Amino acid sequence: MISVADLLVDDRLPSNYFASDVYVQGTLELGLLENRRGDRLLALPDALMKAIVSGLNKETGQATKYVLKNCGLWWGKNFYARFCEELSEYYKKGVADLPMVEFVQALQECWRTHGWGRISLNTEYQLQGFLVIEVKNSPFTAHQIQSEQPSGALEGGVLQAFFSQLTGRDLSCLQTSCESLGADRNRFVLGLADRLQSAEALVQEGQPHDAIMKMLVQ
Amino acid sequence: MNPKLASLFDEPEKAYLQPHELNALSQLVSSLPDRINLYRRLRNEELTLMQAVADALQQKFAQESEDKLKRSLQNGMLMVRYAAMAMLTDDVEIVVKRLEPWLPEMIEAYDTRAIDQALYQLIREQFVSRFTPAQMTLLAPGLDAAQQFITPPSAANDDDDAEITSETLVSLF
Repeated sequence: MISVADLLVDDRLPSNYFASDVYVQGTLELGLLENRRGDRLLALPDALMKAIVSGLNKETGQATKYVLKNCGLWWGKNFYARFCEELSEYYKKGVADLPMVEFVQALQECWRTHGWGRISLNTEYQLQGFLVIEVKNSPFTAHQIQSEQPSGALEGGVLQAFFSQLTGRDLSCLQTSCESLGADRNRFVLGLADRLQSAEALVQEGQPHDAIMKMLVQ
Repeated sequence: MNPKLASLFDEPEKAYLQPHELNALSQLVSSLPDRINLYRRLRNEELTLMQAVADALQQKFAQESEDKLKRSLQNGMLMVRYAAMAMLTDDVEIVVKRLEPWLPEMIEAYDTRAIDQALYQLIREQFVSRFTPAQMTLLAPGLDAAQQFITPPSAANDDDDAEITSETLVSLF
């Protein structure tokens, strides 16, 4: 027989950890915005994002996207560690023991609550060894880095680092559609570097996502 | 608290509250002893009530896997806890805000909808047998709000999120 008492974790029913009304808190009299465990949060103004891109463009020219990608990689690595720490603290178990569906759901809620848009995982090409991450309403690609090119270097870096840590594989990330270029969402393809390499030229040519995927899975 | 009432306190600098606003507040305050009393019972009786529901559920779905039943019971307890809080604070919004981005996805992923719906009926039956009609009136808005998340999504629902099953992503690459 099922014992109902055993279904509770410390008398709790872990559910939507990143629910925005409980997750974002703050000691406002001290000028601190915080998450529910007391880590500091910052509101990032859009003008600052724009300033970072245009400042980098001015100082480094072509290197902007590499700098942003590196920032993203660094951020993603730390973000993964903190994300796992928060979840395992909340669920009272290691992230490895957490069902993937709850992990992904938490990631989606986390993204939304931080105002980073709506993220979703598309596993259509899973059997071919590619994972497509889609982000709608991203604040990170609003400002073009280079004309006619996707501008998600920072976001791509975060996702690459995050999913590399999650899967334990050294993944690469290629952005195949970008909201700044009029696409309905950003799409990032994750896969092993040698399998993604050939698609980079297609992105530069401005090929659509579907065509790039078609080529990749051939 | 009911957001409409809570917003009464937002702008003291604007004007004194009007008689109808104060009446709405008085109504909530006068219903509070009943709400607190019912909330206390829900809390104290949670385990016995849910255990009775769990036993009935297991009989009804004798062939179903225990994991699914457990998952569904967790959903049910969560819904009742939120409904209880909605009742206590006269704020149905809390049920919607917290469960909407979470519960439907979990039900989909673990494929528990049929069990969840049967469970919901069992919970309601338990409530009706334990609580007075007046208490049910207090509790109903929260329960109704929670119920919408276990009913099948309408065809018009434009949910294009990719499906993730409970399998591990680690095997992807």
